[in-house]
Amino acid sequence: MATYRTIPVRELSEAELTRLSQDMKLSLSTEDMLVVQQIFCEIGREPTDVELEVIAQTWSEHCKHRIFAATVTHTTDAGTEEIHSMYKTFIQRPSKEIMAKKPGFVLSCFVDNAGFIRLDDRLSVCLKAETHNHPSAIEPYAGANTGLGGVIRDILGAGKGAKPIANLDVFCFGAPDTPQEMVEGHNIIHPLGIMRGVVHGVRDYGNRMGIPTTSGAIQFDPTYIYNPLVFCGTAGVIPQTDIAKEMKPGLAVVVIGGRTGKDGLHGATFSSAAMGEASHVEDQTAVQIGNPIEEKKTLDVILEARERGLIEFVTDCGAGGFSSAAGEMLSETGGNLYLERAPLKETNMLSWQIFLSESQERMVLAVKPENLGELQRLADTFQTEMTVLGESDDSGVLRVWHNGELVCELDNSKLHDAPTKKLTSVFKASPALTGVTLDDSHLTADLKQLLGDFAIVSREPIIREYDHEVQGNTVLKPLAGASADAPQDASVIDIDGSEKLMSLALAILPEWGKTDPYAMGTGTVDETVRQLVLAGTNPEKIALLDNFCMGNPECPTELGRIVECAKGIREAALAYGAPYVSGKDSFYNYFETEDGPVNIPVTFLCSGFGVVEEQEHVHGMSLRRNDSVIFIVGNTEDEMGGSVYARVKGVKDCKVPQTDCAKNFSVYKTYYDKALTQGLVLSAHDLSEGGLAVAAAEFAFSGKGGLTLDLDKLPTVGGWKNLAVPCFAESTGRFLVEVDADLADDFEAAMAGTPCARIGSATAGDELVITAGGAPVVQAKIADLKNIWKHGLTPYY
Amino acid sequence: MPHALLLKYPGTNCDAETERALIAAGFSTQVQPIATALPEHVRKAQLVVFSGGFSYGDYVMSGRLAQLETERFLGDALHKHFANGGFLFGICNGFQILTKLGILPKASLIWNKSERFECMWDKLVKVAPNSPYTTYLPAEFELPSAHAEGRLVCEPGDAQKYLEGGCVALQYADNHNGSELRIAGLQDPSGRAMGLMPHPERFLRPRHHYDPDWAGDPDWGWGYYFFKGAFDALK
Repeated sequence: MATYRTIPVRELSEAELTRLSQDMKLSLSTEDMLVVQQIFCEIGREPTDVELEVIAQTWSEHCKHRIFAATVTHTTDAGTEEIHSMYKTFIQRPSKEIMAKKPGFVLSCFVDNAGFIRLDDRLSVCLKAETHNHPSAIEPYAGANTGLGGVIRDILGAGKGAKPIANLDVFCFGAPDTPQEMVEGHNIIHPLGIMRGVVHGVRDYGNRMGIPTTSGAIQFDPTYIYNPLVFCGTAGVIPQTDIAKEMKPGLAVVVIGGRTGKDGLHGATFSSAAMGEASHVEDQTAVQIGNPIEEKKTLDVILEARERGLIEFVTDCGAGGFSSAAGEMLSETGGNLYLERAPLKETNMLSWQIFLSESQERMVLAVKPENLGELQRLADTFQTEMTVLGESDDSGVLRVWHNGELVCELDNSKLHDAPTKKLTSVFKASPALTGVTLDDSHLTADLKQLLGDFAIVSREPIIREYDHEVQGNTVLKPLAGASADAPQDASVIDIDGSEKLMSLALAILPEWGKTDPYAMGTGTVDETVRQLVLAGTNPEKIALLDNFCMGNPECPTELGRIVECAKGIREAALAYGAPYVSGKDSFYNYFETEDGPVNIPVTFLCSGFGVVEEQEHVHGMSLRRNDSVIFIVGNTEDEMGGSVYARVKGVKDCKVPQTDCAKNFSVYKTYYDKALTQGLVLSAHDLSEGGLAVAAAEFAFSGKGGLTLDLDKLPTVGGWKNLAVPCFAESTGRFLVEVDADLADDFEAAMAGTPCARIGSATAGDELVITAGGAPVVQAKIADLKNIWKHGLTPYY
Repeated sequence: MPHALLLKYPGTNCDAETERALIAAGFSTQVQPIATALPEHVRKAQLVVFSGGFSYGDYVMSGRLAQLETERFLGDALHKHFANGGFLFGICNGFQILTKLGILPKASLIWNKSERFECMWDKLVKVAPNSPYTTYLPAEFELPSAHAEGRLVCEPGDAQKYLEGGCVALQYADNHNGSELRIAGLQDPSGRAMGLMPHPERFLRPRHHYDPDWAGDPDWGWGYYFFKGAFDALK
């Protein structure tokens, strides 16, 4: 039986090319297919199906990020501009500027699986975050399971094999109490089913791999019902000397780990298209099946092999399978691969299926032939399979053979130039009112309502399903306080063999982007940086990751939002001196219903990591005493837009918090240099969703004391007409600091020149009391507030 | 110097931090993947450790495949080691494996009563007075736990017999997983073989506690003293 076929394209008309792309599920546009035709006219022969599949995968949005590389004609009230690659303009260029100013901080980025920063003189840490949205919509457990498994392999394939040391997971779902009738269409999984499946998928992979899941977030919004978002991230550590890797001719190309099967066909192209009801039936084979123990064995082999110096080059088999791994490895040197050698899960696989399958738990290594024996012994020791698939040479051409026949012969240098897309985008600013009339006569009840809202309730039932302590290095944990159930937004990981520690934090504010995507960009970066600094991170040693998700990029108003957001994150990166060292984007997160498409909101996840210079700088984010002084840092303004309060109360068109990144950064620097590292701080908690009142309640959930705060003392520039604003506005740049009473004057002096005020104290009582004009406007027993907050997810999870 | 052998199975994932704790207590150590483990490795060790993780994925009864593989590669070496006065220590999945190997009193560790994986700190109560592992620990202390299958069950009446017969090393104060008689750790009557669900290796230093104001030992977390106790009993 022939395992491949030749597909004539040179004589096809435009319409026939388009139909061929559809029939083969290549997700290539007519323009792309015309270029394919041209390539094979130049070569002078017809392509094989393997070659067409390789091109489709190489050019897929998933692998090539063609939207972020596109030329975008962007129109706003200020006029029209042409952006040549959003990626280069808003992400890569500012990052390079920052790196030029901080030589030696970023050790590698944009070229490998993850970005690396310097931890100390010997070690480097890295972070990578990916999405696995489409698979998680169809099969939540397997989708999330393999989403995490995939990003762990990214870290294993970063440098010559970094050691994974922490996972982060961020989800966007419909609310778990969504009425069934709101979920239209057959085969659509209810948000509660998605949530449970996704959490269990992440749990079963992360826990079995022995990697602590230390950070995360969940957003709930009805726009995510059809297109849930699942972001998975992994951090790693590696000696600096093992970051650089290089392919050479004459190396053996080896696959280690799982076998290759028909699971995960067309994953890269499937995730680069919109979803419809049919996706839930037709695209089942695009979702892979995870086996974490297979990956754990592979991890053991790779880390040991790297320590013994056996690895010349390593990369993971992710989207595109052998095709993308071999493409990455052999595109410069060239080489031969023999598909009949690949260990298979099933017989009767076609050439393209073997070459493109995205079966999990496979890593591809290049090793010197004389080291094959030792590597095989390691594979035997850890009870995993190892196979020599082929070898590199100096031909510059990748040749793929199957049972003695040449099934694919491509000059990769030609393939990597996918045609540049041209797109148009439009953005029109919302009116963004301020000073709208709000009812501030029931602020205590409002606080309780917010604490019980899905946006804010404790994630404890989910956090406890993840092992966040394995490896024994989680110093700042996701839960804190006297009974380990108070929230903590950033995490800090001890690094074996170093005096320094690594911090991790993230922020995601999709609600803000619905009206002001630029402010969403700056605000999200601000929150990430702020959390990192509060956790003890040196503000000069922070690196960021950008992960974008959106609906249909061909819709100009949708694309307009992402352009504005990207502008915002550019400005923020420059102001904070924090480069983007890795990122990923996911498009086509929309669903075709009878009433038209449902797009997700433009969603930007900012993950950050940095260096904590010493253990003594880690204080935690939970109240520690009942006799301390409480300060607030940062101005509170009438900016209710995008707030949880506005969502809960149905308040529309308010101004979204505006972020002066440069000013905020100078405040954080002052705080770090003059207060945090000088021993003046007991703990600090950032103000984010829910504003001051929610942050104060969360602070006091440590169970160590009560709190009394005075709104009259809050620093502000513009003030407010209504007390709901100081209680619940989500102005950026703000945090609460707990200071020993004897050091309060010193702290105040240290923070001179910043918007900082003594707004209250911890008390021996059991209440949260917030006063204005001398009278309490919020007063509640902390135990009652905590009860609402702590059990909000329990009925659903 | 007492020597500790740590057996590593596919899916074992707490070996690095457990080895770190053993070294901190003074042991020389060897982490040995089971496929290349030999009876000589056992003969050289005074203490054999089974660390946490998911051996072979725990897709069938936790610890069962590890038991079969251990018997395949090591035969009766572990039983000989124990009969000759050697120590054995199983943590979490290691406890499950030790139970299946038949070295500890007969019991099973099944799904928590919540039917969930739960990562949380447990308050523990010291029971058997003769355990070398708990010599230096106070009557009550805390350790982190993280398991789905930690609910200890026995044949009718056995749990009470173990309690009376000095085989219960530790009990939970608040029994989150629903174990019979709140049993968190079992030992043989001599105390040389012990298994427990919580993770002492994760509380090696005070900074590993969730509360920065933890008022315990200034240098070491409670977990350290399990390893130190075994070391001092063997040195």
